[in-house]
Amino acid sequence: MQAWIDILMGPVFVLTFLIMVLGLGRHLVLQLDTLLRRKGDRLRYMPWKKMARETVSWMVPVRHLTTGNVLFSNSSFLFHIGAIVVPLFLADHIALWEKVTGWNLPVLGPVVADVLTVLTIFTLLVLLAYRSFFRKMRVISRPSDYSILLLVLAPFLTGFLAAHPSMNPLRWEAMFMLHLLSAELLFVLVPFTKMSHIVLIFFDRISEMHWQLKPGAGDRVANALYGKEAKV
Amino acid sequence: MAVQMPVTVPSGDGTEMPPMLDLREKLPYHVENPTPENVVERFLDAFAAVLEYTDYKPLLDSYCRTTNKCNRCSVTCPVYRVTGDPRDIPCYKTTLLLETYKRYFTFGGMARSRFTQNGFELTSELIREMADVFYRCTACRRCTLECPMGMDHGLITRLGRYILSLVGISSKALQVSVREQLEGETHNTSKIPKPALLSNIEFLQDEFEEMFDVKLEVPLDREDRDYVFFCAVSDYLMEPDTLMGNMAVLYAAGDWDRWTIGTHNYDGINYGLFYSDWHLERIIRQLVSEVTRLKGRNILVGECGHASRSAHDFVPVFGGREAYPVVSFLEYTLDCVRKGKITLNPDIIEETVTYHDPCNIARGGWIVDQPREILKSFVRNYREMTPGGRLNYCCGGGGGLVSIDEIHEFRMEIGGKVKADQMMRTGADIVIAPCANCKKQLKELVEYYEIPTKVMGLHDLILKAIEIPGAKPAEERKEEAALFEM
Ligand code: SF4
Ligand code: SF4
Repeated sequence: MQAWIDILMGPVFVLTFLIMVLGLGRHLVLQLDTLLRRKGDRLRYMPWKKMARETVSWMVPVRHLTTGNVLFSNSSFLFHIGAIVVPLFLADHIALWEKVTGWNLPVLGPVVADVLTVLTIFTLLVLLAYRSFFRKMRVISRPSDYSILLLVLAPFLTGFLAAHPSMNPLRWEAMFMLHLLSAELLFVLVPFTKMSHIVLIFFDRISEMHWQLKPGAGDRVANALYGKEAKV
Repeated sequence: MAVQMPVTVPSGDGTEMPPMLDLREKLPYHVENPTPENVVERFLDAFAAVLEYTDYKPLLDSYCRTTNKCNRCSVTCPVYRVTGDPRDIPCYKTTLLLETYKRYFTFGGMARSRFTQNGFELTSELIREMADVFYRCTACRRCTLECPMGMDHGLITRLGRYILSLVGISSKALQVSVREQLEGETHNTSKIPKPALLSNIEFLQDEFEEMFDVKLEVPLDREDRDYVFFCAVSDYLMEPDTLMGNMAVLYAAGDWDRWTIGTHNYDGINYGLFYSDWHLERIIRQLVSEVTRLKGRNILVGECGHASRSAHDFVPVFGGREAYPVVSFLEYTLDCVRKGKITLNPDIIEETVTYHDPCNIARGGWIVDQPREILKSFVRNYREMTPGGRLNYCCGGGGGLVSIDEIHEFRMEIGGKVKADQMMRTGADIVIAPCANCKKQLKELVEYYEIPTKVMGLHDLILKAIEIPGAKPAEERKEEAALFEM
């Protein structure tokens, strides 16, 4: 089993992580391409400051926590804190980061780490319940909206159990392997699912930019479809 | 994980949908030609052409991935708040188009549909549903402010309408107007021929003279002026007070020989903003060519939300070398107030006054404070309508809906319900709405719900309070008006 764990922590980790980074990088490049090349000088009059301010207001969404469904908004916010901090700064993760990338990140204390992990798990369950039990949520939810919550839940839960032998129903190695597998599955899925908002959120917020329509496009579309017959 | 969009609302937990007007029944009046032949094929062809020649693709790619289905937007949407119908959840409407895009125009979607049997398929029912939901949305973009992903449903609504219009599904009212504006003889949406315009202007001059004891001649087709004036052309027929208010400000500010109206093209309306990139651009080009003909320097847009926004936002995009600066009349008037070029008598307006923000100029944050500053400079009892400013509620007639008479009931009972409540709660005697569309819709709401308030433009109020040196004073005009009303 240790051999499997080594593989999962070595080449598989590197590979899946690379898929995530490259996939997100692709989104980034494609979006920047629109921004810088295709829209080009049409962006002269963009209210950049306003758009930046708005993006930041959603990065630190304090004033958005009291609107919408308050429980849901707050759970979502807290969940994101855990989901960003725990994978990066947990002691065991730090060791892995160092091995693979050479980065030396500050370490989270064990109590803080536990609290954050439990909080993440708890908020995820709240989100799941909200999505499942409210009719208006169910109507617009796709299967992936549920499954992604479960998929994100998995590494947190398995990681927590692996770190707390007293609660762990399985053998440590088995739980740890589940932890690695579920985390790596997540890496692969990030660029292909709504989790890609990790980078794309910066580009959605600036929809103003997409109002800079392309000159001449309307004529070309009409012409392509109807030629000279095109009717107003 | 393919999604089957529910065409009808699933009654999963057995709860009944709240009662609502069934607009579906009215669809044939609402849009022209709701189910043309081969509609699915043609819709996809049109979508493909749009994707090829425009640059919506990266936007759709991004939205497809990030749409979070968190439902925050639903709380903000005035339509959904009234109907409670899941079809009116902004994200639901948008998803109809996004799913189509994903299924037919992305590699993943195409590949997936090969392997799964029950994936998303575009059907004529779904297209019909799009026609329905996209014309129920007022494109007010209020929901955008509350979406963590910043999804702009107004943009998607109009993209959806654009593609629909390419297969012949669009609102008859909008289409007829645009056709006249672009290809008709009068080149304006209300079909006002030049002689009628001239007699209208004569009427305005006479009224103005009667009111102020000042004889004016509106400068027509003068070249080399600072401002070429465009208003919603319907103002010439329905809003003489707004136009006289405009005239009064220009005259009092000493700018009478700095402006002109072009008689070849005097309509600021641009319904292309609501449903078609093609028409949007052609109307803008028509507008700037009139300014070029007259060798004008700025485009001055009268009191109209969508006319102001379409000129302000799209003259730079489509104007090319003729991209003249666009000035809203509200900005112009504020400038006059600040510089002391006009005097507004603070003792004239005794009623309580509130202000309705037209979505098109307020949502983007462009014109929010200007009209308030003007109002507060001469209105004693000014009262805010909350929420207002960028967060305002749409009048319920946005996105061109107000021009569609067939859906009057929808606009009253659903689209404008929240606004009607808001007006009632504010309890002001006068609601100022500097927009031709908002004014029409709000006036209808006031009548429908019997709200004791009067709806008018900002310059209608200015017309009452402005003092022009050497002309009849405001106080005297007020007495005369009171006599007239008795
Ligand atoms: S744009 Fe306005 S009407 Fe349309 S979905 Fe958003 S909030 Fe509702
Ligand atoms: S707020 Fe945005 S992400 Fe959430 S459901 Fe609405 S459109 Fe979708």
